Amino acid sequence: MSIQIQRGKAITVDRRTRKTPMGQGLLRGLGVIWKHWSASFQKNDSYKKIQGTFTIEYPEERRQLPEAYRNMPILLYDEQSGHEFCTSCFQCERICPPQVIHMTQAKDPATGKPVPAVESFEIEYDACMSCGLCAEVCPFEAIKMDHTFELSTHDHPSLTVDKTALNRPTTYYAQIAPRMWEEVKENAYKKLAANMKRRSDLIGIAPQMQEQLREQLARAPQAEPAPEAVASASTTADDKAARLAAIRAANAAKRANSENGQAAQGDATQSADDKAARLAAIRAANAAKRAAQQAQASEAPETAPSESASPADDKAARLAAIRAANAAKRAAQQAQASEAPETAASESTSPADEKAARLAAIRAANAAKRAAAAAEKGQEE
Amino acid sequence: MLSTDELQINIGPQHPSTHGVFRLLTRLEGETIIELTPVFGYLHRNHEQLGEANSYLQNMPFTDRLDYFNSMANNHAYALAVEKLAGIEVPERAEYIRVIMVELTRILNHAGAIGFLFNDMGAWQTQLAFSMREREKILDLFEMVSGARMMCNYFRFGGVVRDLPPEFLPALQDLLEAMPAFIDELERLLSENEILLARTQNIGILPKELAISYSVTGPMLRASGIPYDIRKAEPYSIYDRFDFDIPIGSVGDVYDRFLVRIEEMRQSRRILLQALEQLPDATGSHINPKARQNVRPPVGDAYTRIESPKGELGFYLVSDGSTKPYRYKIRAPSFINLTPLGDLCRGHKIADVVVILGSIDIVLGEVDR
Ligand code: SF4
Ligand code: SF4
Repeated sequence: MSIQIQRGKAITVDRRTRKTPMGQGLLRGLGVIWKHWSASFQKNDSYKKIQGTFTIEYPEERRQLPEAYRNMPILLYDEQSGHEFCTSCFQCERICPPQVIHMTQAKDPATGKPVPAVESFEIEYDACMSCGLCAEVCPFEAIKMDHTFELSTHDHPSLTVDKTALNRPTTYYAQIAPRMWEEVKENAYKKLAANMKRRSDLIGIAPQMQEQLREQLARAPQAEPAPEAVASASTTADDKAARLAAIRAANAAKRANSENGQAAQGDATQSADDKAARLAAIRAANAAKRAAQQAQASEAPETAPSESASPADDKAARLAAIRAANAAKRAAQQAQASEAPETAASESTSPADEKAARLAAIRAANAAKRAAAAAEKGQEE
Repeated sequence: MLSTDELQINIGPQHPSTHGVFRLLTRLEGETIIELTPVFGYLHRNHEQLGEANSYLQNMPFTDRLDYFNSMANNHAYALAVEKLAGIEVPERAEYIRVIMVELTRILNHAGAIGFLFNDMGAWQTQLAFSMREREKILDLFEMVSGARMMCNYFRFGGVVRDLPPEFLPALQDLLEAMPAFIDELERLLSENEILLARTQNIGILPKELAISYSVTGPMLRASGIPYDIRKAEPYSIYDRFDFDIPIGSVGDVYDRFLVRIEEMRQSRRILLQALEQLPDATGSHINPKARQNVRPPVGDAYTRIESPKGELGFYLVSDGSTKPYRYKIRAPSFINLTPLGDLCRGHKIADVVVILGSIDIVLGEVDR
């Protein structure tokens, strides 16, 4: 047999045919086991060690998962605008090896033309092989791999999940995979901004956010019949309404602020108050948005004829919006600060509510900010 | 002398020992095997036919599921086949990353195989736990780069899916530092224990000629004394840049097969150290930017083979110019190495069957596909 071997040679393994006294090998083997056993009371915390306990007590203790870890795909939305990144380009549906992604594209209700947004999106989690190809091919960074792996359930059909269950805010992804998100973030937002221009109304808004919007629309007339009714009538009235809502929001946020301080002991009123704050904040956000839209729409044609009335009003609206933004921001800070002690004290309801309030406050702040910017722009023109 | 009847016994198909779902049809004279026929196909998943319905890239995650111990090696063989078919270049750094992954795979496969040998002989879980500890460390590294411990799906045409994260190389250094201690301990446990020696020496001898006529490859062939390793015989990727030796056995029994595996782990460590030294710094050049993943290779065919931890793993692809392979065929080392099982076991006691089977080192996912 002549087999040429470059850069190396064939070495015959040593069979160690020499005899050890009978039984000694066994004893030495036991020695090794003894060594490992006695070392097993210590934690093996380094790759350099080959002894010690290297297991962890799973449900209580959890490994830090690497960023690249992939389990099931999720969809991302921008929690400030509420817009989903997905444009229903069908790339992921096409690449998925077991073909478990199903989607339909959204259509503009007015024109019937397809819009770069997704109407329904379903993934059969039970048949997904976690290959990660969908996340890899997505040009809009809309689909990413989640780190949650505890998905077992008795209810098999529930493993076919829809858009509502798949959606996660970008902050969530930035938290589980900070470096990977940082790399693609800019690109993702650039593309989203371009796509948002081609969406109208509620199209492309994450269902989570949509519900809040709709809920708000349904509730607003009962709570505030007057401004809501007048709102459609004229610009100034609308501006006024926005101002009113903003002021109310500011007040509510302030109240929430002070209440939060007292509620540190965790009494019952706190959650109710939080709800109120949340509601107010949502209302403020929406009103501010509406004001901004109105301002933008009305500014262009109207600047000349109604110069006398609107600037003053606009100014007031802007002021109110700014004030609301500030109050909301403060509320958010307060909420964040009070989270730590409170979770311990009143664990049952408050964290969820608190979170919601915080979210709403942030949203309000953003909306108000945008309103202010729009108003300012209008002013300059 | 008492006269006894022949007895026919089915071992399996539910997990005969720890090696997956297949059936051993045995004819026994007392406790001695007269005839043994391996019956497989219980884990058939239509892999090759599925491969013809999928696009080239879609097949990549499926190759993970062949030999699920060695997903990186499977990825490598498949990526090489498509690259050959479509003429895709691989950047230097990607080649080194690939070699690092595949050699780590070899170490974890052999550590596992040896751990299971002890299991098969009744040293229930002790040594296996030690092997699994080392294996888990390597799987941690795989998870770090690819996102999954076993179904890595890490290779792409023209490179690998993402570059090494910054924490990878220090962790690998630590791992390689600890490895000699682990391998030496494993070898001592294997070669000093009298029970183990009695159970493995001169059991299941595979003579050279028989090995060749059965097309056996990998550690099993080398244990029979033939220094044939595709990394040397037909260097693919960048294996011609490393110094390493080929361990061979002198008898070809179960014992030799395990000694060869242990020595191969040492050689793999040598390769890893060299690869770490030579690894180019060009971060980000882990994939050829010009390589399209959604390939449409020209009409033609390609066969590539690699030295997977279990033997020669080959992918044969025929392209008809579309995005899907026209024919997708796998030469699976586990499957071919399993065929001489009947010859290996004849004349041995029934208790040795499990040990011999373990020494072949099969994964049923690859045998049945
Ligand atoms: S998730 Fe990404 S790839 Fe899939 S349809 Fe949406 S934008 Fe396209
Ligand atoms: S991870 Fe893979 S299998 Fe799962 S939905 Fe994405 S592409 Fe399909």
